[in-house]
Amino acid sequence: MLPVDRANVDTDQIIPAHYLTGIETTGLGKYLFTGMTGGAALLEAHPGAAIIVSRENFGCGSSREHAAWSLADRGFRAVVAPSFARIFYENAYNNGIAPVIVDAARIDGLLQAKHLRIDLEKEVLFGEDGTEIHFTLDPLRKQFLLSGGYMAFLASKTGAVREWLRLA
Amino acid sequence: MSRSLFEKVWDAHIVESLPGDNALVFVDRVVAHEITTPQGALEIERKYGDKLFDPARIVAINDHVSPAKDTETAIQAKVLRDWAKRHGIVLYDIGKNGICHVVAPERGYVEPGMTLACGDSHTCTLGAFGAFALGVGSTTQGGAMLAGCLVLQRPKVMRITIDGRLQGGATAKDLALHVIATLGFKGGTGYVLEYAGSTIAALSMDERMTLCNMAIEAGATTGMCPPDETTFSYLRGRENQPTGDAFERNVERWRTLVADADATYDAEIALNVDNLRPMVSWGTNPGEAVPVDGAVPAGANDASLRYMDLSPGTALRSLALDQAFIGSCTNSRLSDLRAAADVLRGRTVSIPTIVTPGSQAVKRAAEREGLHDVFQDAGALWTHSSCGPCLGMSMGVLAPGARCISSSNRNFPGRMGTGGRVHLASPAVVAASAVLGRIGSPEELAPVAEAVPA
Repeated sequence: MLPVDRANVDTDQIIPAHYLTGIETTGLGKYLFTGMTGGAALLEAHPGAAIIVSRENFGCGSSREHAAWSLADRGFRAVVAPSFARIFYENAYNNGIAPVIVDAARIDGLLQAKHLRIDLEKEVLFGEDGTEIHFTLDPLRKQFLLSGGYMAFLASKTGAVREWLRLA
Repeated sequence: MSRSLFEKVWDAHIVESLPGDNALVFVDRVVAHEITTPQGALEIERKYGDKLFDPARIVAINDHVSPAKDTETAIQAKVLRDWAKRHGIVLYDIGKNGICHVVAPERGYVEPGMTLACGDSHTCTLGAFGAFALGVGSTTQGGAMLAGCLVLQRPKVMRITIDGRLQGGATAKDLALHVIATLGFKGGTGYVLEYAGSTIAALSMDERMTLCNMAIEAGATTGMCPPDETTFSYLRGRENQPTGDAFERNVERWRTLVADADATYDAEIALNVDNLRPMVSWGTNPGEAVPVDGAVPAGANDASLRYMDLSPGTALRSLALDQAFIGSCTNSRLSDLRAAADVLRGRTVSIPTIVTPGSQAVKRAAEREGLHDVFQDAGALWTHSSCGPCLGMSMGVLAPGARCISSSNRNFPGRMGTGGRVHLASPAVVAASAVLGRIGSPEELAPVAEAVPA
């Protein structure tokens, strides 16, 4: 678990704009948190972490999906926080990163943990001391999270959209 | 049933309801720029036979780093250019481009009642027209290009009623900073901000765009202003708009896009701006702002204070500056440049000052009025149109510790360059500060001696 003990972790801190110059969605992990004071040291101190615990308003700011791509490329599968900015929240689901919303009062305790485990299917976060925190994923976006396919889902709707447009 | 402006636009675009309070929302227009479009376009090319739902609904603009600064950004521009050409998509490129949120409306691509998506968080700017304008990620934008729709959880609606007269140097930018300071940096999360009231009715389209531009800085899904005669006049006769009866028929339809008198909202706030002062941000999010003659507040967030090298009680006017920037999708339209020029006319800047028009069309209009001479006579740099220094991507990047006053929208740590410090303000306050070399307002400047004709 990677503790990012601050609120308002914005997308410029997750990946600064000067790394947005590519056309691919892969290989961006090396830029993760390079815009955050102490970001590189934090990552080094927690090798192999797949879950981030942070505070309010995670992912605020830019629409850059590079924020989600850089997290995914670095092996992160979930961010646990009391709240998320909308665009990051959508981008996370579309890239296999679960935005796990838990009560703000739980965050202090979670930040102290060394290892957390999450069952995305069952929507449960397991603390080190055996505590279970139940959370709720968006029932539609959960499909995108577990099996990918936001684009494929929309592609399957194209006919319905054309019919809707014809009748509109 | 009575409905808000947002609900009228939303209801007219729902293709179907989806689980989890989500909906499949039809997208009338996609604005595509070179930083966030190639990824989705390439996925469509690889997996979906390069088929787009309707290329005529897309407008492409090379905007963030144009002309390219290096090989990578040149490739981004080329991918957008080749893709647009292949699909017959209109492209605004070098020579006639600019910031997408400035170019799209000035070229007539934004209308009341429209849904619009773009891979850029400041797409909310275009809610000024009474459109539902949504900033989205590349995948969501790609989905809209592929299937003509997107998935969105239905947002709540907050009505923000604003009355009173903007005076004493207060502008739409100050109003935007005041709204964010009132709501808090994430106080708008989950909401569409639907603006109402006499102050909004009196704003020009440029000013409404400035206000709506910063809805995202309160975390809001977007901002919206009710369309009215100001909106219709802006669009009448504009390129890419119909003319004559066809346009007037649209106007009749657009007139219905106002909130019903007894519409209900999920949240409501009312503000009076008679006493609003020009605002300047002191911290590391746009909600951390106070009047220009104010001080860093007691109880300010430690992390913000440390990053900005400030202490509670420090007067903003005591802060020496290293750079000034006038531009960005918030404040780079002609009226913004006029406001800055009015301050700089006959004066000299004392720190490096960059003035970047929002589009080449704005640049040419400004030059027809001689504003480029005003800026350059004052010692400022007058550049081509671009996103410019706002996001630290190309020109005007700040050195660590450098302090910049900027008419842009974000003061996040590192936003304009690693370790750089950003104070947000209106174009007039940025211009005055550029003269003073410290944060200050136009009223502090000594009068300019009038030139006496020989």
